[in-house]
Amino acid sequence: MFIYGLLIMSFIVYVINYQTSKNDDNPWETTGGLRGSIDEKYVMVTFQSGIDYWKGVLKGFEDAAEALNVSVEYRGATKYDLQEQITVLEQVIAKRPAGIALSAINPEALNPTINKAIEDGIPVVLFDSGTTESKAYSLLATDNYRAGVIAARTMAELTGGEGDVAILYQPHQMNLEDRTRGFKDTIHAEFPRMEVVEVVDAKAQRSTSHDAAIQLVAKYPDLRGIFITEANGGVGVGDAIQSLGNEKVKIISFDTDKGTLDMVKDGRIDATMAQGTWSMGYWSMQFLFHMKHELVQAANWQTTTMSPLPVKVDTGINVVTKQNVDEYYAK
Amino acid sequence: MKWSGFSLNNQPIRYKLIIHFLLIGILPAIGLGVLIDWTASRIIERQVNDYTIQMIGKVNDSLEHYVENVQNMSYLISFDPNVDKFMEHGTYDEMAIRTFMTGFTTLHTEVAGIVIVNDKGNYISNEMYVRSTKSLMEEDWYKQAVQSKGIFRIIGHPSGRNLASHVDYKDSEVVSFVRAVVDPITQEVKGVIMIDLKLRVFSETVKDVRLGKSGYLMVVDDSGDTIYAPNHPLLQTLPEPLAEDGTAPASSGMYSAKVDGRSLQFIYRTSSFTNWMTVGVFPSGEPVSEMREIRFYVVSFAFFVCLLGIMASYYLSHSMSRPIGQLMSFMQKAESGDLTIRYWGDRQDEVGKLGRSFNLMLAQINRLIILTELQERQKREAELRSLQAHIKPHFLYNTLDTIQWMARRRNADDVADVVGSLSKLFRIGLNRGSDMIPLAEEFEHIRSYMNIQQTRYSGKISFTVSLDPAVANLYVLKLMLQPLVENAIYHGVKERRGPGVIEVSAKEEDGAVLLRVADDGAGIPPDKLARLMSKLESVSSEDGSPDGIGVQREISDMNADKPPADVLLGGSSQGGGSHSSGGEGGSGYGMMNVQARVRIAFGDSYGVKIESQVGQGTIVSIRHPIIRHLDK
Repeated sequence: MFIYGLLIMSFIVYVINYQTSKNDDNPWETTGGLRGSIDEKYVMVTFQSGIDYWKGVLKGFEDAAEALNVSVEYRGATKYDLQEQITVLEQVIAKRPAGIALSAINPEALNPTINKAIEDGIPVVLFDSGTTESKAYSLLATDNYRAGVIAARTMAELTGGEGDVAILYQPHQMNLEDRTRGFKDTIHAEFPRMEVVEVVDAKAQRSTSHDAAIQLVAKYPDLRGIFITEANGGVGVGDAIQSLGNEKVKIISFDTDKGTLDMVKDGRIDATMAQGTWSMGYWSMQFLFHMKHELVQAANWQTTTMSPLPVKVDTGINVVTKQNVDEYYAK
Repeated sequence: MKWSGFSLNNQPIRYKLIIHFLLIGILPAIGLGVLIDWTASRIIERQVNDYTIQMIGKVNDSLEHYVENVQNMSYLISFDPNVDKFMEHGTYDEMAIRTFMTGFTTLHTEVAGIVIVNDKGNYISNEMYVRSTKSLMEEDWYKQAVQSKGIFRIIGHPSGRNLASHVDYKDSEVVSFVRAVVDPITQEVKGVIMIDLKLRVFSETVKDVRLGKSGYLMVVDDSGDTIYAPNHPLLQTLPEPLAEDGTAPASSGMYSAKVDGRSLQFIYRTSSFTNWMTVGVFPSGEPVSEMREIRFYVVSFAFFVCLLGIMASYYLSHSMSRPIGQLMSFMQKAESGDLTIRYWGDRQDEVGKLGRSFNLMLAQINRLIILTELQERQKREAELRSLQAHIKPHFLYNTLDTIQWMARRRNADDVADVVGSLSKLFRIGLNRGSDMIPLAEEFEHIRSYMNIQQTRYSGKISFTVSLDPAVANLYVLKLMLQPLVENAIYHGVKERRGPGVIEVSAKEEDGAVLLRVADDGAGIPPDKLARLMSKLESVSSEDGSPDGIGVQREISDMNADKPPADVLLGGSSQGGGSHSSGGEGGSGYGMMNVQARVRIAFGDSYGVKIESQVGQGTIVSIRHPIIRHLDK
């Protein structure tokens, strides 16, 4: 009977050992925590996909993928083209990826496509610029209105709280409109001795912004500041103001690409607004992963009316000036 | 072998059976398991290895594809007229070059950065910028590109570059490629194009491969630096393959090595284009998962066979050895004397049969014992009777009476007395009625005998007879005293000078009758006495010891051959010749006869005892049980 017990014991030990060792299939990739599989492909879709701005987001997206052991793909409309982005998004959905992180070129036009993806069971989150009515689970973006508010306060600080200011933006792009609104509202409400004299559509390009700046300076002699709501314009305006030799006009730009940072460093741009681009990418991936692996409270997220994810995530805004610009350069 | 056979024979049958069952049941199962395990693991191992080499080949193809793409990119960039102008130090449109390069990163998202450097150290890049003012021409990668003279070159992970990536790609996250742009005529280097590829695409390719074994893939370049390895690799640097025999490693193959005390197996394949080697690292001895599954089932099977085997062998051996053990304990009881024991059980197998045979055997033994006892008793009785068988007494009595009557008529009273005594002697001695007579009658008989002897040895012998009246009516074996008295006359009194006295007495002592014949004759020398005594002792009631039987035989023989009177008178009529010449053999004969009769009739606690001293005399006494009634 003793031998019997011994035999049964050893067999049980063997079975347990077998069961446990069966599960850790690849101990060399483990980082601990959440693990996906490498054949899960998450796609990041943007517009104007070549611009530097997305590279920061993509880096965050890739870093999260590395941490979660999944694959990523970066797709996007190469131009600022709504139809192209819809086409790209349709193509991506057709490949049935594990999740889609999308930056919408237009607040409404993409809704049917986004909804279609969600109905197909593909989790979609939005980053940077969102939509109004889509079923996408979350938006991870800079609170653009608040960015505008902070830009306005920074402008007031730079100009001593008085004088005319102008805004360069591009219509039909929600994030830029929000920034514009935040800026205008704040100037109006908090700084009575300041006035937004004009909001210019500068096409979000360097040359057009350059020209727009020169026109503004000529048109408003009392102009004390220009707020450019996106990166390309900032460099153009900086060049224009320097070429005019005008010391009075303060410039606040947006984003932290190399050109803008260089200009902040040598004083051609007084301040720029840094967005949490890496965070957008990183957390978009995390959100998608959690949806895909049903780690959210509402396990049946495809059918429930409950919000499975934080609906809106503010990835933060920081003011970059000559004092702290070095932190934003690559290490 | 002999030894084990020997020791096995000494084991209880139970263990023998268990061992046999285990051997027959379990060993083949375990053997089969081991064989299956061994065969399957070899076949699967071989297949998995082949498969792994193929998969590694596919990985290499994918990696080559990416690298080729980068190579093509570097050519495309150098073909651009604006870039050419930049290299030639002409006037160029930097914006156009940047837009052009953006096109590459837009389409090829695996590109982390592109840098174009001309031979003045000026550079253009969308993604990267120099950290310090040091010229890029002094960078290691630049020099390597120059050395390669327009041939595409893989740098691997960059290190210590004077370039920073704006989106923060670390050196370990990119793989760098360079190509020098060479003037076709002068063969001078006009500039260098460097392209950084994200390691992610390699790692995704490598990780996406499902290997048959548990292990991982890593990629090393031709100088042995790791291009890609997983987060927790088993080893930091790859041991040199086939380093010991000095031959150049083949483009693919496998080898084993010990790293940090772990023995690892390596399966590798080198890409001819990139010169990168993709290596599968597998801990050796770690079975592939399919093998583990097979092994699991084999072990489970063996386990259940063992379980059943042990159970069955215990049960079977028990069921076989238990009845045998029972039977054995019965036999032991019977052996120690309990012949009433019986085997109970209605089994029909060999053990049951054996038990029944055992029962039969015991019954047979019992019968035989009873039979033997009966036969023994009958034999003894027959012997006793034969002592008296041959005498035709009545004729003798009548003759003697006639003689006595004639003697009286002729006034020969002494003759009449002697004949009267003889007649009385015979009457008692030849009485066929019973073996037992009252003691008084026995004494009457001895008195008659003494009378005759006294007449014969007139004046030489005197007798005294004393019979305790208390014992006069007890029954004794008849004719016990006569041989003793005869002995006393011939060996005692006759040997002595002068007249001797013989005393015969009987009394009760210690719950027995003690008959005593004492003389004051010559006595028996000590050595002779000792022999006589040991001879007496050797006569037993039960056993057919040679002496006892011999005595009885002699008696019956003599009865057959000699006249009965000779027996009764101990041959006295022929004179003492035979006795004196026969030595102690003769003198012992009568005594032995008495001893044998007493002991056969009553057992060893009764019988003849002799005491003697030379010159003083001899006392022979008989211990005889008290028998008051003859129960016939």
